[in-house]
Amino acid sequence: MQNKPLSFSVDIRLNKRKNLLNFDYSIVLAVILLGLFGLAMIYSASGSFSLVLRQAIYFLLGVILMITAAISNFRKMEPIYLNAVWIGFFFLILVLVLPNSGTTNRWINLGFIGFQPSELMRFLLPISAAAYLTRNPQIKLSDWMIVLVTTLAAFILVFLQPDFGTSAIVLLSGIMPIILSGLPWKFIIYSFLGGIGILPFLWMSLMDYQKERIYTFLSPEADSLGSGWNIAQSKIAIGSGQFFGKGYMEGSQSQLDFIPESHTDFIFAVIVEEFGFLGALCLFLLYAFLIHRLLYVAKSSNSKFAKLVSATLSIILAAYITLNISMVVGIFPVVGMPLPFISQGGTALVVNMITIGIILSLRRTT
Amino acid sequence: MKNFSREKFKTGEEYSRALFFLSPFIFLFSISLFQVLNLTLFQGDKYQTIAESNRIYQKPINPVRGFIYDRKGTLLAENIVQSDLYVTPAYIEDSSKTISKLSNLLDMPYDLLEENFLRGAKKVKKFESFPLVKALNEEQNAKAKVNLDSIPGIEVKATLKRYVLHEETLAHVLGYVGDISSDEIRSDKLLAELQNIQIGKTGIEKEYDTILRGVPGIQTQERDVKGKLVRVLDTEGAQDGKDIYLTIDQKLQDHLFKLFENRKGALVALEPKTGLVRALISSPSFNPNILNSIVDANEVESLFSNKESPIFNRAVSGQYPPASTLKPFVGLAAIENEVISWDKKIKDDGEFYVEGDPRPYRGWKENGHGRVDMRKAIAESSDVYFYTIAYDLTLSGVRPMLESFGFGKKTGLTNFEANGLLPDKKWKLGYKGDFWFKGDTINLGIGQGYILATPLQLAMAYSGLANRGVIYQPQFIQPEDEKSFRPKKVSEIQLSNTKAWEKMEQALVDVISARNGTAHKIFDVNSVIIAGKTGTAQIKSILPGKEYDAIRENPILRDHALFVGYGPVEDPKLVVAVIIENGESGSEVAAPIVKSAINFYTGEFNAE
Repeated sequence: MQNKPLSFSVDIRLNKRKNLLNFDYSIVLAVILLGLFGLAMIYSASGSFSLVLRQAIYFLLGVILMITAAISNFRKMEPIYLNAVWIGFFFLILVLVLPNSGTTNRWINLGFIGFQPSELMRFLLPISAAAYLTRNPQIKLSDWMIVLVTTLAAFILVFLQPDFGTSAIVLLSGIMPIILSGLPWKFIIYSFLGGIGILPFLWMSLMDYQKERIYTFLSPEADSLGSGWNIAQSKIAIGSGQFFGKGYMEGSQSQLDFIPESHTDFIFAVIVEEFGFLGALCLFLLYAFLIHRLLYVAKSSNSKFAKLVSATLSIILAAYITLNISMVVGIFPVVGMPLPFISQGGTALVVNMITIGIILSLRRTT
Repeated sequence: MKNFSREKFKTGEEYSRALFFLSPFIFLFSISLFQVLNLTLFQGDKYQTIAESNRIYQKPINPVRGFIYDRKGTLLAENIVQSDLYVTPAYIEDSSKTISKLSNLLDMPYDLLEENFLRGAKKVKKFESFPLVKALNEEQNAKAKVNLDSIPGIEVKATLKRYVLHEETLAHVLGYVGDISSDEIRSDKLLAELQNIQIGKTGIEKEYDTILRGVPGIQTQERDVKGKLVRVLDTEGAQDGKDIYLTIDQKLQDHLFKLFENRKGALVALEPKTGLVRALISSPSFNPNILNSIVDANEVESLFSNKESPIFNRAVSGQYPPASTLKPFVGLAAIENEVISWDKKIKDDGEFYVEGDPRPYRGWKENGHGRVDMRKAIAESSDVYFYTIAYDLTLSGVRPMLESFGFGKKTGLTNFEANGLLPDKKWKLGYKGDFWFKGDTINLGIGQGYILATPLQLAMAYSGLANRGVIYQPQFIQPEDEKSFRPKKVSEIQLSNTKAWEKMEQALVDVISARNGTAHKIFDVNSVIIAGKTGTAQIKSILPGKEYDAIRENPILRDHALFVGYGPVEDPKLVVAVIIENGESGSEVAAPIVKSAINFYTGEFNAE
């Protein structure tokens, strides 16, 4: 009996530490596995050690931020989450205002490091939206309207860069919390029909190269040395990998640069060429497992905020994975999306890992 | 309204809605997996093949074309390195900038380069290159190589090109080479496997192409998407072409070519005892190097459209009336058929009449040669004498002798020869739609009318005279050892009285040596003794009442001058046939060349 107070205090400390480290390790393992595999594939695809080193630094940063996010208490973070979207807007406007070389304004260069504000936005927007929608026990129609307007503003800013693929993702990342938080179906259906209605206008506002990509998707073999060339070469790489693949660093299509953007958007083609159908299947299973575990948080949490954030971020991640792979295998237009955790690109990697960290923290505090 | 969400929306529906909106991605994910399965397993072999063809480049290794030498080992045709400037449009960002750089560097007009660039760029595929400037000179080549790195998309490629050393002199013997045409591939399927190789188009280059050409090798290379060599996987070396030694005597050829002074005509000089061709000229000639490596298309165009037809080989393909050079053969036919004897004289008053025909057959000399026998008829070239014996011989009497001397058929020296024409009744009916008249036989008697012969055929026929009836196969390929060389007989003419050969030769010697001989002008005590015969081929028949002087005002209607001869008569070393188109006088323009040829060659022969 004398021991009780003592044991209680120890228990509290133990519980606290246990609580702190109580998250789904299988998710962390899967993400680290994907990231390391990505580094290896970037090396095979680019042959550039300095590129791998850069990516490895981002990866380490990502791991640190993921763990930091995972052990944080999301309830204490809520005020920050609520206003995080303004950081996103700040950079989105900044990137449009700053002078930029080339035809698109996507990058903010801080000298030693560069990042894409749109990548940041597609992760900050759903968190702020979820925080805003769940700040009161009941959701008012005006709450949804405000989130919708904010989302459209973010969408337009990204679209103006112009970045067709990411703007669609930003749109999705803002709308999902609205829909998931209980918007009546008739609103959803009306908006969907309305969305189809404005498609022709959207088409007219596309840049020529964006239209070209869609044309190319519709008939890639028509001009195999022109813009369809990329898809044709990607399919050749995948098909020639056959069941077992040609072996690491042995893919002729990737090693001889026949695959375009082989270390970024088309890295999946390199993977299949070198590891075959078997490698592709393993990667599919790993991704499926990851999404499944992330969605489990949405299912098991009893916090509405946690449900909204984890479900939205899981869907966004699934969208990236699916759209990238379906583009590389030639069943979807080339939209310029990286493969999460694998493609070379620092911002996306770090953002994706923070996403995972936040979802982990949501699970823990349920 | 404010609280409707609370009423209708159940906790947990977030998750089911999430699954609902995830379903299109799950669907797309599954389809993608199926597509990977489809590409790798169901179409894997097909894509494997395509990936291999992306990776592998079969680079042909061209064999070195064999050289051509003359009988003494003098080099006639070799290969030289030609540097061409290639551009790859895919690597050029600003074509006008590149062109202006090259224009300064190579000292060539900007407009010309731009025109070539635009024309070439249209034809090539992505990452392919084409020649922008062919045959760089030394200075351009050096400058281009030094500055290569500063101009992307530019490279200098060196290829071996055929080069004929003596240019015009040997053009028709050697011929020229060129790229393989689609017609040639159609007639010879094996050619389709050769890439970027030049093959013989005419002359020796064509006839012995398979020997000279060699067999190309193949290098199997791995190349990246930009066509850059990554590594060599396998090399199968080329077999170089073999060298060829010709019977041509380059010194003789060169000496004789100069004597032509670009006049239209031809010459064939061969050894009567072996058939080895020592010189063969067709004039005017051309520089085969213009065609061996085509740099300027206009130059080629003007060569082929030239009215003087310099490309045409008159020596083997030109067909001319043999005129009086035919007389010795008609004479032998008459003796053999006993139409006349050696000593029988015929009165020649300049005209010959056929019974019942008021039209006279005129001799070239207005009042005739008086009473002439065979020897005098040959020496002075009496037309009336030969009209008479041809008339008596009839076509069937004269034709077999001409045929056995090779008239009217190819000699087999080259594939480019003309047949000549030895007419008969059937031919005339078929081609002229008319019967054979006695007058046709009379004209044939002096080598006019329908009969046509190539300079080669004339040289061959006279080698039969020099050899007492034996004619050997003519050839261009030098035997390894001339002394042990056994030439192939193609004809052996038996006369019932072998004395006839000597008598005819005596008459032919008289043509030059006798004071009354038609070619006495070339007589020279220092010369070896030559037997020969002049000829003046009419290319327009003189109608009654019209004089030749009126015709000769038009140079291309003037008579062709011929001379065929051999010597030295005691041991004939060379038989030479010369024709000078529109040269008018065989004795004045053709005979000196024959004399010079025989003396030059005999001198060379003795010097050996």
